[in-house]
Amino acid sequence: MKTITFNQKKTSQIALEFDELIPDEVYSWEKADFEKYMVPIGNSRFPLTDYFDIEVEGSAESPEEIKMILNGDYGRVKYIGTKMGAGEIIVNGPVDLHCGSQMKGGSILVNGDAESYAGREMEGGSLTIMGNTREFCGCSYIGDWRGMNGGTITIHGNAGKQLGECLSGGSIYVKGDCDILAGIHMTKGFIQIDGDVTRWPGGQMKNGDIVINGELGRLLEGFVQQEIVENPEIDGKDFSGKYIKYTGDIALNGKGRLWLDAEKNRHLLY
Amino acid sequence: MEYVLKNGIVYDPANKVAGEKKDVMFKDGKIVDSVSADAKVLDVTDKIVMPAGIDPHAHVAGPKLVVGRIYRPEDSRKGVTHKTDILRSESGFSIPSCPSTGYRYSRMGYGTVVEAAVPPLEAKHTHEEINSTPNLDIVPLSLFGNNWFVLQYAKQNQIEDLAGFIAAWLRLAKCYGVKIVNPCGSEAWGWGMNVHGLDDPAPYWDVTGREVVTALAKANEMLGLPHSVHVHPNDLGHPGNYPTTVSTMEALKDIEKNSTVRGQTMHLTHAQFHAYGGTSWRDADSGADYIADYVNNNDHVTIDVGQVTLDETTTMTADAPMEFDLYKLSGLKWANKDVELETAAGIVPVIYSGKAPVNSLQWAIGLELFLKVNDPWKVCLTTDHPNAGPFIRYPRIISWLMSNERRQEMMDNREVHPWSHRRTSLASLEREYDFNEIATITRAGPAKIYGFQDRGALTPGFNADIAVFDINPNDIDPSRNHEAIEKGFSSAMYTIKDGEILVKDGEIVKVVKSHTLWTDVKGMEEQEKRVMDRVMPDFTKYYTIKFENYQVHDKYLPNPIVTEVQAGK
Ligand SMILES: [Zn+2]
Repeated sequence: MKTITFNQKKTSQIALEFDELIPDEVYSWEKADFEKYMVPIGNSRFPLTDYFDIEVEGSAESPEEIKMILNGDYGRVKYIGTKMGAGEIIVNGPVDLHCGSQMKGGSILVNGDAESYAGREMEGGSLTIMGNTREFCGCSYIGDWRGMNGGTITIHGNAGKQLGECLSGGSIYVKGDCDILAGIHMTKGFIQIDGDVTRWPGGQMKNGDIVINGELGRLLEGFVQQEIVENPEIDGKDFSGKYIKYTGDIALNGKGRLWLDAEKNRHLLY
Repeated sequence: MEYVLKNGIVYDPANKVAGEKKDVMFKDGKIVDSVSADAKVLDVTDKIVMPAGIDPHAHVAGPKLVVGRIYRPEDSRKGVTHKTDILRSESGFSIPSCPSTGYRYSRMGYGTVVEAAVPPLEAKHTHEEINSTPNLDIVPLSLFGNNWFVLQYAKQNQIEDLAGFIAAWLRLAKCYGVKIVNPCGSEAWGWGMNVHGLDDPAPYWDVTGREVVTALAKANEMLGLPHSVHVHPNDLGHPGNYPTTVSTMEALKDIEKNSTVRGQTMHLTHAQFHAYGGTSWRDADSGADYIADYVNNNDHVTIDVGQVTLDETTTMTADAPMEFDLYKLSGLKWANKDVELETAAGIVPVIYSGKAPVNSLQWAIGLELFLKVNDPWKVCLTTDHPNAGPFIRYPRIISWLMSNERRQEMMDNREVHPWSHRRTSLASLEREYDFNEIATITRAGPAKIYGFQDRGALTPGFNADIAVFDINPNDIDPSRNHEAIEKGFSSAMYTIKDGEILVKDGEIVKVVKSHTLWTDVKGMEEQEKRVMDRVMPDFTKYYTIKFENYQVHDKYLPNPIVTEVQAGK
């Protein structure tokens, strides 16, 4: 095992980019290697050690044996864990855009909030955010129609708009509330939101499951109420209580399933 | 500055030099036949030396590129590089940024590219993009096949006035020649319709594709333009479309050529997309034989292929109804770009996959066309970039053309779907191109087809546009070594443009401004005046912009190369 610890010395107005600092790239690095490294900031590069004190303990033969602990405020550090395939990153603070985007394996734990695009196009591994996250968590790259297709994202706080946009695999759990259009364009996969949802989950979804345990503000017209199911099994998981089951989005002949807690969503029953 | 490229193996088909070891000399930007003892020597012993490449049909600048780049950020993020001391950062794969386009052609040893579809209304913007594309001379063709004024002249068979209109509009838009796309079909798209075949009239116009193509071809010859009409026929991409393609070629058969610098009166572009048999995608098969036989037996037609490269790419054409069909087939996203009174374009991403039967069939039909057209002067290498694939794949296509073994291997190990050999005759075609034929379809042939008198050959007095490749033709078996061929042609050892070394060992070492080629017709002043008097009331009535803002002023072409032609001569 090798533990790499970053202790922040100062922050930057312009975001640092950390996509080269993933376990897959740095597992063999020693302290001296980090001291040589120039980190991209805007259109230039600067010494990483201007911003962090870095400690390296132990040794590693492969990225699986890496634990990176990032202490401080990473609210202006983008691409943490982007494309990582193995190992562990723990951030003790908030993170900027694209944390865990395109990640293929390993784990990221953010003890703080995450900006937009967390877990974008994720293929595997796990991303856990203890705080809130913003727009486009677990989505596609802007313009693309291929979103997250594997792995797990867990958000302990609230999530923003278009959570799991174009989802085609993997699972997203939100313990708090969620804004509009969760699971828009999704074709497969699983989204569970324990808190309240403002409106329009599942727009243009073709398949997959969305479970809402809180109250839904407004439903899209393309969802057809099917039945009330007690203790359903959804995506291989057991749920207790009564759920209203909808299918849609009929605008696209969709076979997606939307499950709403029946108690909290009586106002939608007819 | 004088240079000698020493001891290269030269392929210069226009001068009938096919793999001779000889020196190539240039001075002050031009090829010369002797230099002084002070000339700088570039040792290219046993390396391939050719004229710089000429791409006779691509989409590299203009409104639909912009729409494509805006609506495909997922493409723009591919191919990103950081800026260097001399280069701007690059971005994009199928629709690269303007600087990336220039750099990438330059690295492949190309010096000239034809931008095949400029709507006159958007010509200003196209020229601005041309100016942002370095290291490449760009030859814009103007769209005429669905222009309201053209439809009117064609309907009334007023060829002389149509010729006057073309002369005036080439000058207004600063374009080189006449492009026709799905004649009457893009106009029909204004009503949500298309036309089918050559004799289906545009709605409310009572004029057919046949009448439009014929009239434009006659006017083109009346003017004696350096290039023939450049035709994208009706029914692109539809199974069973080869009869429309053959009828279009046949319709122009008897039009008298009025040019000494080219051989054809019609250039059929991206023939692969127009060479399908069958009645639907279920029973589609190859119509390549019909197209190739026609081209082999008739001298008035040349073609470029539009080879499918099996990549994820972006289709964009001024054939908007076809793009709408494609959008419905693919279910991906779609952008539409209507250009008032002139044309309508569509843009749809496409993933050409070797696993897909239809894409594999298209791949094979393209190769069949290359292999079945006997005379390499009649066929050019294109992918209709980016429609069938990005231009950076030309070296891969060259490797396929030079290696039957590689083609068979792709079919045998299922890199392409069995439709590639079950529904075409590709598996039976053993022909392999040699380096001289490659030089013909990428250099000498396109130059002839465009009537270029300053490039495409290593003739003394021509521009010193030269490519050197790190391939020893006497020491490589292209049939066995397709990877080395692709690599060698991807990254030029030298790209020389107007006598300046722009690329060395695959890296750009110098960035220069592009030239824009356009055709200035003389001798039609009277007709042009008559035409302007006639069209201006309609122009003012129907266009949403003023004529003053429509024309492309000289300042949009800081580096023009003007071809003057005397109409009728
Ligand atoms: Zn084209």
